[in-house]
Amino acid sequence: MDWFPVWLSLRVALTATALTLLAGVPTALLLARKRFPGRNVLEAMVVLPLVLPPTVLGYYLLVVIGSRGPVGQALAAVGVEFAFTWGAAVLAACVGSIALVIKSAQAGFETVDRQLEQAARTLGRSEWSVFWSVTLPLAWRSVLAGAVLAFCRALGEFGITLMVAGNIPGRTQTLPLAIYDRVQAAQMGEANALALIAVAVVVVLLFGLSRVARLRY
Amino acid sequence: MRCPLLPAVALAWLALGSGPARAAEPPPLTVFAAADLVFAFKEIVPRFEKALGVRVTLVLGSTGQLAQQIEHGGPADVFFAADQAFVDRLVAERVLLGETRALYAQGRIVLATARAIGWKLTELRDLTGPNVRHVAIANPAHAPYGKAAEEALRKAGVWDAVRPKLVYGENIRHTLQFLQTGAAEAGIVALSVATVPEIDWVPIDPRLHAPLNQATAVVRRSPRPELGLAFIQFVNGPEGRPIMKRYGFLLPGEF
Repeated sequence: MDWFPVWLSLRVALTATALTLLAGVPTALLLARKRFPGRNVLEAMVVLPLVLPPTVLGYYLLVVIGSRGPVGQALAAVGVEFAFTWGAAVLAACVGSIALVIKSAQAGFETVDRQLEQAARTLGRSEWSVFWSVTLPLAWRSVLAGAVLAFCRALGEFGITLMVAGNIPGRTQTLPLAIYDRVQAAQMGEANALALIAVAVVVVLLFGLSRVARLRY
Repeated sequence: MRCPLLPAVALAWLALGSGPARAAEPPPLTVFAAADLVFAFKEIVPRFEKALGVRVTLVLGSTGQLAQQIEHGGPADVFFAADQAFVDRLVAERVLLGETRALYAQGRIVLATARAIGWKLTELRDLTGPNVRHVAIANPAHAPYGKAAEEALRKAGVWDAVRPKLVYGENIRHTLQFLQTGAAEAGIVALSVATVPEIDWVPIDPRLHAPLNQATAVVRRSPRPELGLAFIQFVNGPEGRPIMKRYGFLLPGEF
């Protein structure tokens, strides 16, 4: 059996989860703590990828990053082709999953007792230090839950990836695309094996995480 | 917060980086092909690889989606559409090389019955019967075989009666799956994908719909247009034609 889709999917999902955490946690904190003009618009934008059908999102992304799109042409000017690469699959996974990180983390940050943060500030902690030593430790379960949801969504991402990364065997064919392809070709044995692997990955991940969570608290 | 997960994740990422790495070799010829070619091309491609000593990456999808991707820089060398209109549009937009355009097949549609239900439909009129509750066809809005199915149903005068029973597949393979799983009792699919054990079929008179002429062309951006052209000639040549014929396509010169 060809294991490429499995490795590719794991790499794409891990990279996408890291990137969505990097971008999503600050956004969640912003939404949880600050009142600013355009906040409602930002909040709506965040959940938009969950509302729009993935293939439609994928089409719009392709129009932007494809060879005729503004971003695609800018990248081509510096010799980079982004659409139809594994990087495009990461972008697809990020777009599909970032809302899950932001909404979970935001809910977590909103339940953190502000007085504890104030206490840390009166003790001379900087805002940066308050976040790492008070806010995040109190909200980390929500952040972790968001990360797990994002990873699973990234691993299962299909529609956006199909459009912007293509379904190219050996290059951008992720696990879900490979399963779809096998089903289309009536190779049910391989499709079942790949689906089983996807299930196994998630079971192992969730089992490992629950162990980590129990060890820590 | 010092998280024990972070180093583990970073390590896993690095390890996976070496996983997908492939040995350095000339990039394969990338063929974007319509879903109705799935079975025929799985036979033709290995023969072409052997004959010319090149590797081929076969990307199957719906004609409309593949056309959009090629238009936006999709890394195809050759495009095989299920409907010549898509090829002609991309030739007009100078995305495909007009001088390489060729017809390679004419598709046929069949009336299919899911074997699981225990009887077999013999004509389009049978679809109006009370024992057929779901009729699967490809989406006529964008799938060439779906359009042909709609035309045939209209020409046979049963469109209005069948319409409430219709379920649309995204492409012709997806439509076939409705029948293979027994979710739809009957449907209209391409002859090229109809030879599966789960269904029975009878041909539909081709005069009931506009001909499903299928065309191909080499992509202008392709770095090796001559190799793409060689693949087209292989499909249309003495090696490819018998295979295409076996999967129920009419061939250029026969229609």
